[in-house]
Amino acid sequence: MSRSGRPSRTPPLLRVRALTKRFGDVEVLSGVDLTVTAGKALALRGRNGAGKSTLLRCVTGVDAPTSGSVELDGEPVDERSVSVRRDLAIVLDDMDFFPDLSVIEHLDLFARAHGVEDADRVVDEVLEEVRLTPQAAQLPGTLSSGQRRRLALASAFVRPRRLLVLDEPEARLDQAGLVWLTERLLREKAAGLGILLASHDPDLVAAVADRVHDLDRPE
Amino acid sequence: MSTAGRDVRELRGQIRHWRRGRVDTSLVEAFTDAYVVIFSAIVLGAMAVSVIVNLRVGATGSCTALSCLDARDALGWLFGLGAAALVLAVARLLGPMLVSPAVGTWLLTTPLDRTTLVRGRLALSAVAGAVAAATVAAVGATLSGYPAPVVGWFTGVFAAGGVLLVGVATVAQARRHPAVRVLSWLLGGALWVGLVLVAVDAVPSTLRAPTAPRLVLALVVVGSLAVLALVAAYRDLRLIGRDRLVSGGALLPGLSGALASLDLTLLYDILVSRHWRARSSVRVVRGRGTGTSALVWREVVRLRRSPQVLVALAGSLVLPYLAATLGLGHAMLLVVTLTGFVAGVGLLTSLRVLSRTASLLRCFPLPASAVRWACLGVPGGVLVLWGAAATPAVHDAVGGAWADSVATALACGLVVATSAVRWMTSRPPDYRLPLITSPMGAVPTSLYFSVLRGFDVLLLGTVPLLVAPTTNGAAVSAALMAAVLSFLVSRP
Repeated sequence: MSRSGRPSRTPPLLRVRALTKRFGDVEVLSGVDLTVTAGKALALRGRNGAGKSTLLRCVTGVDAPTSGSVELDGEPVDERSVSVRRDLAIVLDDMDFFPDLSVIEHLDLFARAHGVEDADRVVDEVLEEVRLTPQAAQLPGTLSSGQRRRLALASAFVRPRRLLVLDEPEARLDQAGLVWLTERLLREKAAGLGILLASHDPDLVAAVADRVHDLDRPE
Repeated sequence: MSTAGRDVRELRGQIRHWRRGRVDTSLVEAFTDAYVVIFSAIVLGAMAVSVIVNLRVGATGSCTALSCLDARDALGWLFGLGAAALVLAVARLLGPMLVSPAVGTWLLTTPLDRTTLVRGRLALSAVAGAVAAATVAAVGATLSGYPAPVVGWFTGVFAAGGVLLVGVATVAQARRHPAVRVLSWLLGGALWVGLVLVAVDAVPSTLRAPTAPRLVLALVVVGSLAVLALVAAYRDLRLIGRDRLVSGGALLPGLSGALASLDLTLLYDILVSRHWRARSSVRVVRGRGTGTSALVWREVVRLRRSPQVLVALAGSLVLPYLAATLGLGHAMLLVVTLTGFVAGVGLLTSLRVLSRTASLLRCFPLPASAVRWACLGVPGGVLVLWGAAATPAVHDAVGGAWADSVATALACGLVVATSAVRWMTSRPPDYRLPLITSPMGAVPTSLYFSVLRGFDVLLLGTVPLLVAPTTNGAAVSAALMAAVLSFLVSRP
C-alpha cells in the first residue's frame, strides 16, 4: 500500500485544495491538499481535535471552509446541490432519525427517495447485513448506541453513491461489526467507489486505506 | 421511626450540611439577583387578577342572551374539569413521584427506605396539584359570576380534587395500573362533551351555578377521598420501581432547561422523543413510490400512526363553534386560528426533525425545499381542511354570503398551517449574537422573540380576516401566508 500521500494518475473524484478553516483566532485546518480517486480509500489520521471531523464537514459542504476549495468531479461541492447529495453518502457523528419511523422504514424511505429500484429487496439485504433484522420494527429511540451506528451506516449503503465519507465509522461497533465494516468497505472499493474516512482504528485503516493523510502537527 | 428511616434523615442532614458549606450567596444576595423576576411575577399576577375581575364585571353587563348566560354558568365547571385534566396529565407525565438521576443512581440502589426517601415529594406534589387545580377553578368560578362564598367553596372542592388526583396517580404509578390513563381520557372526554353542550346551547341544569350547601357536601366527599388516596399513595411509595422514579426526574431538567431558554420547540422535541421511546416499536408499513412521493406516503403513514393527534384536532373544532355561540363576532376568527395552531402543530413532526437535524436532510437527493414541501403536503392539507370544517361557525359569527364564509374559513386553515410551519422550523436562540446583560445573566437578543414565533405569523394572517371577513380579506391573508410559507420552506 502506498502511504506517500501522492495522488494516483486516475482523475480524482474528490479534490481538496489549500483548505483552511478558522474558528475565530483558532486555525483548525491549514492548507490541506488531498484527493480521492474512484476505487481507492483515503484515511485521515490525527489526534483528538486535529480537525478530522471539521475537514469532513468542509468536504461534504456542511461547513464552509475559510479558504481553499473542494471539488467533486471538478465541480465545487455545495451541500445544497442535488447532484452532490446524490453522489455523496455521508455518515457523520451527528446523525439523527425520525422518532416515529422504525428502523426498516428509515432505510425504505432513504432508498425510495434515492429512486432505488426494488427497494424492498435492497433494504432487506442491507438490514440483514448490518444485523438489524430483529430490530426492524423498533423505533430509533430504543436502539443501543451500537445499533444506531449500524443504522446510520446502513443508510449509506442502501442508496446509490460514488463517494463514501465516514467519520469514525468504527465507533461503538462490536468486534463482529468491525469485521463486517472492513469487508464491506473493501467491497465498496472493489465496486469502484471512493472512500474518505476518519478513523482512530489502526487495523481498519491498515485494511482499507490506500493512502493516509496525517493531520497531526507539532504542538 | 425505623432504622432505615433514621438513616435517610441522617443522610439528608449530611447532604444539607455539605450544601450549606458550599453556599457562596446569602439569601439577601439571592433575593437581590431575583428581584426582577419577583417584581415581574407580582405585577403580572396583579394584572391577571385585574383582567379577570374586569371581565367578570364586563360580562355581567354584556352577557344577557339566554345562550350566553347558560354558557357563562357552565364556565366554572368547564374550567374545573380542565384543571383536573391538567393536573392528571402533568402528574402522569412526571410520575408524579420522581427523583433526580443522581438520587436514582446513588441512593435508590442502596438499602435505604424508599418511602422515607420520596414521601416529601408526595407532599410537594399534593400541594402543587391542589394549588394548580384551585387556581384554574377559581378563575373559572370568578368569570362565571358566582357569588364570593360559592367561589371559595368551589375552589376548595377542586383543590381537594387536585390532591385526590395526585394520590390516585401515585397509586397507579406504584402498581403500574392503566386506570389512570383511562381516567385521563374520561376527564378529557367530559370536558369535550361539556364544550359541545355549550356550543349547541343545550347546557343541562346540573351545569348551572352550584349552591354553597352542595359545594360543602362535595368538599367533604372529595376531601375524604383525597385523604384516603394520599394514605394509599403513602403506603404504596415503597412499591414504586426505580425506573419509574428516575424517568420523571430525568425529564424535568430537560423541560426546565427548554423553558429557561424560552425554547418551546425544544420542549416539544423532548416530549415527542419521550412519547416514541415509550412506544418502543411499531407495525412496519412498507413504502410506496420514489422521490418526493415516497416522502408524501411516509407522512400518510405517520398520521395513521398518531391517531390521537388527529382526534385532538377534530375534537378542538368544538371551540370555534363555541365562540360562535358565545357571540364573539369577528373575534371568533382569532379563536379559530389559535385553536387550529395549538391543536394542529403536532402534525408537523417530520418537518421539525428535518429543521433540527441537517444531517437527516442531507440523506435525501432532493433540494431542501422539495423535501420540506413533501413533508408539509399531507399535514398542511389536513389543517386547511380543518379550517374548512369551521365554515358553519364562521358563517354564524360573521354573517354575509356563504362564499365569503368559505373563503374566510379556508384562509384560516392556511393561516394555521403557515403558523405551525413557522413554529416548527424555528431555530433555537443564537448565543453567537450580541448578548444583553440582565439580572438573570447574559441573554441573546433573539431569546425574547423566540416565544413569539408562530404567533407572529398567526396574527399577520388573521388581521386581514378580522378587518374584512370576505373573499377579498381571505385573498389578502392567503397571499401573505403563501409568501411566508414560500420563504420558510425555501430557506437554506
